[in-house]
Amino acid sequence: MSKNGPLALAYHALFVGFMLAPILVVCWVAFTPEGFLSFPTDRWSLRWFYAIARYPEFVSAFWRSLGLGALSSAIAVAFSVPAALAIARYRFPGREAMTALFMSPLMIPHVVLGIAFLRFFTEIGLGGTFAGLVLAHIVIVLPFALRLTLASAVGLDRAIEHAAVSLGASEWVVLKRITLPLVLPGLVSGWALAFINSFDEVTMTVFIAAPGTETLPVRMFLYIQDNIDPLVTSVSACVIGVTVAALVVLDRAYGLEKLLVGRSGDGR
Amino acid sequence: MAFLVLENLSKTFGTHKAVDGLSVSVEKGEFVALLGPSGCGKTTTLQMIAGFVEPTSGAIRLEGRDLLAVKPAERGLGIVFQSYALFPHMTVAENVVFGLEMQGVAAAERTKRVAETLELVGLAAFAARFPRQMSGGQQQRVALARALVIRPQILLLDEPLSNLDAKLREEMQIELRQIQRTVGTTTILVTHDQAEAMALSDRIVVMNQGRAEQIGPPHEAYERPATPFVANFLGKTNLVNGATVRPEKISFGVSGLAGKVRTRIFQGNHWLYQVDTAAGLVTVIRQNTGEAMPAEGADVHLAWQAAS
Repeated sequence: MSKNGPLALAYHALFVGFMLAPILVVCWVAFTPEGFLSFPTDRWSLRWFYAIARYPEFVSAFWRSLGLGALSSAIAVAFSVPAALAIARYRFPGREAMTALFMSPLMIPHVVLGIAFLRFFTEIGLGGTFAGLVLAHIVIVLPFALRLTLASAVGLDRAIEHAAVSLGASEWVVLKRITLPLVLPGLVSGWALAFINSFDEVTMTVFIAAPGTETLPVRMFLYIQDNIDPLVTSVSACVIGVTVAALVVLDRAYGLEKLLVGRSGDGR
Repeated sequence: MAFLVLENLSKTFGTHKAVDGLSVSVEKGEFVALLGPSGCGKTTTLQMIAGFVEPTSGAIRLEGRDLLAVKPAERGLGIVFQSYALFPHMTVAENVVFGLEMQGVAAAERTKRVAETLELVGLAAFAARFPRQMSGGQQQRVALARALVIRPQILLLDEPLSNLDAKLREEMQIELRQIQRTVGTTTILVTHDQAEAMALSDRIVVMNQGRAEQIGPPHEAYERPATPFVANFLGKTNLVNGATVRPEKISFGVSGLAGKVRTRIFQGNHWLYQVDTAAGLVTVIRQNTGEAMPAEGADVHLAWQAAS
């Protein structure tokens, strides 16, 4: 490992500071006793954390976001497996077009998708429903799920499946006992990235969520339009706390690098 | 009737004839090598026997039955792949037992046969390891055990030793031959390594451009090559005045073809000479007996027995 010079060190320190400062400031402000966003604050209070309890719609929006992320990511991953295997293995007419289509939500601005989905869902009677949210989120997280599933499907040695076939395994057994376990790290990583993107999404969701189906980011966004009190900072601090706890648990149990890079756990 | 018969087997990819009318008969218990340079169609032939590639025309018969009508999963063949293709998420024992589970063998019998087979390949102590925790040679043996444990009708070996270093490859050649003799499984080896084919097999099929150039015992193919291609592929040859002569058949004498030693290379058990003669550059291999040999620049005479 080469040593960093003083200039590089200063650069790295600034960079890390720039990344972390907003998060730290939000957490700090969350502990203010004042009725407005005051920073720096010299007195401490848990007042705004207790205040969350008076807004049950924040709590229900949090659970809805979790459920929406988990469900839409799971469906996107389930859809990605056959798509990734087909794209990785076969050359067929329309293969490039299919890949481009699945990846296209990355290229389209979410505000455009939001307006389009709003019109479309209203038209077919899904306006403001949870089912509509799930459908829209499947579309936007699909590229993330597919990318990582594809990466592990491409790396799969077909001879391994041939070996299983030669030993008498049916196609279904090969899929269940060989192919799926081998692409599993990619599936898990794809699901995690998809979940993060779904949980985070506000630009598109704000168009299609209705009262009663708001996600947490949408609820926070709407709240700060009308209020200047630090409630959203305490909510943010809670989300950050949950995220950090989840990352620590995942790192211990599975390894963060493996999770986010999609590398196979058995060192292939 | 022969055990395994390939009859006028052909495979065309687009306009390229990968295998072109290949006919081979293999006896039960025989070890046959398909030998040839890359692109000669040997791997395609193996894959047609295994069922992963469908022939364009021709037939494959096993004990008189049409093998092409049988699904790959039901052919009951043991295959060792070049990349070993072990299941990386399973232990050695789980890898080996897989085929027995597919056959529906009872649990007690499975355990017994896995233990026996791992014993046979010398890996009894490694049953709980994962493939990634093992060396290339050990993985190779696991692949062999996994293929043998199902008591296959035919064992197919696809360049099984090409990923091993030279010394290990030689050890594995001896071991592979012993194991094959012990279990007596009919074996087909695909390789581009002539030394490996000659060391292991009862008969060699020398292939070139999808066709068999010669089929016969290794010694016969080496001593009496049917075509110049076979002569060149099975070791070094000299073309002197229209006749092919193996370098080790030439000796230094007092009379014979006159020449001058251009280079001399010592290779431990033998000397390798390049001699300039009126008939062109001649390669000579002489066994190292500890005696003094002609030096570079020396005038020599080359003598040999007329080719049989």
